[in-house]
Amino acid sequence: MTALAEAGTRWSRQADPESTRRQSIAQVWRGFLTATRLGWQTEANWTNPVVYFLYAVCTPVFATLMLVFMIQVISGGNAPPAYRAYVVIGSGLWSFVVAGIAGLAWAVLDDRERYRMLKYLFVSPNDLLVLLLGRGLARMMVGAMGAIVTLGLGVVVLGLPLDLARIDWPVLVAAMVLGLVSIVALGLILASVAMQTRQDSWHYPEAVSGALFLIVGAVFPLNILPTFAQAFGLISPLTWWLEAVRRALFPDIQSGIGGAGSLYASLAGHDAPSGIEALLALLLTTVVVTLAAVATYRWSEHRAKERGLFDVTTGS
Amino acid sequence: MPVSPTPLHSAAALAIDARNVGRVYKAKPNPIVALDGIDLTVRPGELFGLLGPNGAGKTTLIKILTTLLLPSSGTASVFGFDVERQTSQIRRIMNIVSGGEQSGYGLLQVREQLWMFSQFYGLGVREGWRRVDELIDLVGLQEQRVQKVSQLSTGQRQKLNFARGLLNDPWIFFLDEPTLGLDVSAARATRELTLAWQAAVPGRTILLTSHYMAEVDEMCDRLAIVDRGRILAIGTPAELKHRVQSESIFRLELDRLDRGVGALARLPGVISAASVAGNDNGADGERNTILVKLVLVDDGALGPVVSALAGLDAHIVSLQKSEPSLEDVFVELVGRGFEDDLTVHQNGTGLRSAGSRPADEESVAEELAGRSR
Ligand SMILES: Nc1ncnc2c1ncn2[C@@H]1O[C@H](COP(=O)(O)OP(=O)(O)OP(=O)(O)O)[C@@H](O)[C@H]1O
Ligand SMILES: [Mg+2]
Repeated sequence: MTALAEAGTRWSRQADPESTRRQSIAQVWRGFLTATRLGWQTEANWTNPVVYFLYAVCTPVFATLMLVFMIQVISGGNAPPAYRAYVVIGSGLWSFVVAGIAGLAWAVLDDRERYRMLKYLFVSPNDLLVLLLGRGLARMMVGAMGAIVTLGLGVVVLGLPLDLARIDWPVLVAAMVLGLVSIVALGLILASVAMQTRQDSWHYPEAVSGALFLIVGAVFPLNILPTFAQAFGLISPLTWWLEAVRRALFPDIQSGIGGAGSLYASLAGHDAPSGIEALLALLLTTVVVTLAAVATYRWSEHRAKERGLFDVTTGS
Repeated sequence: MPVSPTPLHSAAALAIDARNVGRVYKAKPNPIVALDGIDLTVRPGELFGLLGPNGAGKTTLIKILTTLLLPSSGTASVFGFDVERQTSQIRRIMNIVSGGEQSGYGLLQVREQLWMFSQFYGLGVREGWRRVDELIDLVGLQEQRVQKVSQLSTGQRQKLNFARGLLNDPWIFFLDEPTLGLDVSAARATRELTLAWQAAVPGRTILLTSHYMAEVDEMCDRLAIVDRGRILAIGTPAELKHRVQSESIFRLELDRLDRGVGALARLPGVISAASVAGNDNGADGERNTILVKLVLVDDGALGPVVSALAGLDAHIVSLQKSEPSLEDVFVELVGRGFEDDLTVHQNGTGLRSAGSRPADEESVAEELAGRSR
């Protein structure tokens, strides 16, 4: 069996733990990219791309169209175009949010319940967190397809008043980056919960994103909510993310946060946040949520190791 | 020249050094003590076996050593690295394969799944592919190279899992019942591959669990017999078998014995003689022979016994030396059989014993085939 011995010559050196006390950045990056690829291949049923495309893209498009149509009916056709833009952005971006929030948790559940590979991933030299982030990113890319198509259709079909010359690109780019981080952080918190083996964990991401949909001003402004719900909305980074994106794309759009009688107005002393203000609030809330998420994840991982949960399946 | 694992780290380091390792699972209504003070050392280059019945704690110990589970008490290290604090070092130098599970990313091809793990183990892209193809050939999955993992048979999945386990060329390879659920030839192939892999580079270490006694007997340099979270005995298979039995046991078949076994028992050098009833031959009625289990002080006592038989007017039909099996060791240590169907041995109603056959490759396979039904 010379192949076995040759392999030993080549690889034993690589396995020298003295020289690899820490993983190099390149190795972490490679693990991340590979996990993203794995996520892309396992998440998307590419054996039937047409069905998959319909699922990934048509769902958010039709959900958005339905909302726009309902608003038209309720307002008797008098809804201002700016409000239509408000709804299309909130609803269109939401498929991205759901994918991000569910992606990491479902990666944990899929790997433990379906593929039974979670323990092998965990004892590979990569940090499981990095692998989960890669898997989550893959799902978000699918969600992003839906969001982009929805927004594009909004402009072309619904005639949203998008003026490319007036887009605030720096704010838009910064908001998208921070938004991505905060969505992943929320997903990580749910992945931490999913790791604790509960049979019903599959439904948590949808439940949580459903609840968030209501309090972050996705399709209607916060000020129609009771004060305590507005308070929750104000501490969620998603609220500020949507606000900053809307401001950057449509400078004249109505605020989802401020307005007459809103909690924001009574706290801040002025009617609505500016784009920069929204961006700063987004930054602050993102940092807090991200730190909380990493701490939660580490605690969850430790607890799973303490209780031996990496290969326990709930049969769900 | 092959590089052996040890000099890279520390020549003095033990492959496994477990001290008073305990593990309690929180469970309702009562906590479960899975490990109750395990002390174990395994040297680099050893193939060490853990033998014990269901629930003995074998998997729990492996999980602790592979950094999947924290011990509740005690300390353990792998090649000098602490299982609680130096997990990243351990993960580079070890790998684990569990048998009898349906694991794998069903949508991926065999080659893709292995390649992904090669990347998780930090091999380069091209190195990864080369290593993957090498291992596919090695475990014999050539024809399934581009087949979907979901379409593999149980045995093929196990081969795939084995290949994954060898991707990072571990210094220490943990095999938790690697032949569980495999057919005779697949199980044999797995054992042969394991032994060949280990023999190819000095210092490669294996910790194997099994409840197939013949498998452990056949493969392991040393083993520990585990029951209810405790190690009952450690040694080479020969040592353990010797420990239960310093006497010699023979199985004697006579055409007749008119004066009864008592006459045999009184002969010099005989510790005990017992007729064995309910033998397999009894039913057919054609061979009307008498089976006697003779326990002698040593092999040298056999000669006088054989001469004395003539005086008793008895002729020997067959004579076989009974080697004690690991099963005997287990029964002696625990006071009960290993698995229910084998407790007959303890009751003395038969002489069915794995040890009465040589533990060669064929008999191991036979035995495994018989049990996996
Ligand atoms: N996650 C868990 N939670 C509670 N109890 C557990 C858990 N895992 C194992 N146990 C218990 O710990 C004991 C040891 O189990 P373990 O899996 O280590 O045994 P084993 O020797 O590997 O058995 P087998 O031969 O059946 O694989 C058993 O009593 C088992 O019920
Ligand atoms: Mg086990």
